[in-house]
Amino acid sequence: MSTSAESPSVTGPRKVVVLFRATGDAPIMKQSKFKIGGTEKFAKVIDFLRKQLHRETLFVYINSAFSPTPDENIWDLFENFGIDGKLIVNYACSMAWG
Amino acid sequence: MARGGKQQKKKVEEVDFGVITAEARKQVWSGAVPIQLHLHPSEITGSQAPSPFLMLAPRNGYLPLLEPEIQQHFAKAIPSNADSIWFDYQGLPLKWHIPTGVLYDLLVAEFERPWNLTLHFRAYPVEVLTVCEDDAVKWNFVNALKEASYVMYGNIKSVMNISQLDQVELWRCVVKGELEGYDRIAARLRPGFGGGGNWVREILLTPTCDDASSGGALLRAGSESGRPSRVPIRVYLRTVDRDLDDLFDAAPVSSWDEVVYTTRPIDLRGGSILTVRDALLKMVPHLFTRPESLDELSVKPRESSPTSKLETEGPTDDSVSQAISDASPKTADEEPSTSPIEPVAGLGSAAGEPDDLVLEGIVRVQGIELNLDLPLEWVARNLCGPENFIHLIVISRRVTLQLPSKAME
Repeated sequence: MSTSAESPSVTGPRKVVVLFRATGDAPIMKQSKFKIGGTEKFAKVIDFLRKQLHRETLFVYINSAFSPTPDENIWDLFENFGIDGKLIVNYACSMAWG
Repeated sequence: MARGGKQQKKKVEEVDFGVITAEARKQVWSGAVPIQLHLHPSEITGSQAPSPFLMLAPRNGYLPLLEPEIQQHFAKAIPSNADSIWFDYQGLPLKWHIPTGVLYDLLVAEFERPWNLTLHFRAYPVEVLTVCEDDAVKWNFVNALKEASYVMYGNIKSVMNISQLDQVELWRCVVKGELEGYDRIAARLRPGFGGGGNWVREILLTPTCDDASSGGALLRAGSESGRPSRVPIRVYLRTVDRDLDDLFDAAPVSSWDEVVYTTRPIDLRGGSILTVRDALLKMVPHLFTRPESLDELSVKPRESSPTSKLETEGPTDDSVSQAISDASPKTADEEPSTSPIEPVAGLGSAAGEPDDLVLEGIVRVQGIELNLDLPLEWVARNLCGPENFIHLIVISRRVTLQLPSKAME
């Protein structure tokens, strides 16, 4: 019964703490921690970074490992890959991890 | 779950899983969707519209990979100021990073062959689709592969360790649909998790697995060194009108907002053989109902079977939801005398109950309607995409009814 009582992953106004980390020669942001709604898509994070850094081309990764598709839900990413209550997002101006 | 285990064992004795396994993977890799492309009327430049173009689109491929062939056919129609190529289905721009077979299974409720798509060389819808230029499709694939590896092994070493040459070859095999070449390199990407072989048989038919302990045998095998403990599942949930009698009559998806897209790693370890049902119970629990309240309708959710077409109309959906909310909290009459503190035990004890729950809707993978009692690991090994994700399409009629389990508390 416990399994069926779990709420679906996309409900609720839960927020996720995103920690941005520059990689390579990417500029470092003054503020690196942001809160974002869990129902947002990863595309929102990419857009946000583009505007903050004034760059059209950016490579954005989770845990220095992979770049999720823009459609992925922030809450899903946090739940699946979050570390210590934060979603760690690395950004680079050139391809960092292929 | 012991019941599931027994059934499974029986099946295993009847069929040669090794043959089925190899066959399943071949089928998956040779799967293709016949598509018919029509140039969008506003993009016709000459006096005559170019003829539509029929082709086979590999299920495990991505739409932009078809570009060379398409360009050949439409050569005369391509404007000099062409954008990236893109496609729409009944007005919905198709996301190029979703495998073609998944798009088809998700968006076409009643299978349409050929699949009629509209082709565009101009006015790329940047607000809906991410830009697809240069190596974007390959990059997307490699990153999906890395994400899957991260879920399965907790790191991406295996992907990073393949040579540049092998990466090129791997991608070539994906584009060309060459399973053997792909397997040669992919074996290193998912150690201990190959597609072929008789792993189910070996596990389930070992002498140690008499009835009750058969699940345990799989558990032990699952924790062998090098084998992944989790598998990545992506569910594409499409909810159709509740008043719809036949899911296949669903109106076309008009916006991507109608599709819920969820990714979850599902742990293969646990006290029992995990089935697809167990995975879906974790990912979309709100779609399951107790069959007691749906007794008279038990044929309804499985409308794909030819016999159900002959059934006369069942009660309307309103009465279904009524029946569900009216369902008596104490319907489980076989409740064992265990204490209600079951969540501590986790999967093992929870598995017995959800077995009785019914998913209202259709579940598809690789173009087939999936038997939810299949072991998840078999599906992960054989029906996953080349990026190692299991793409499950769920087309469901229910919106947000109260969970039956809520009523039971």
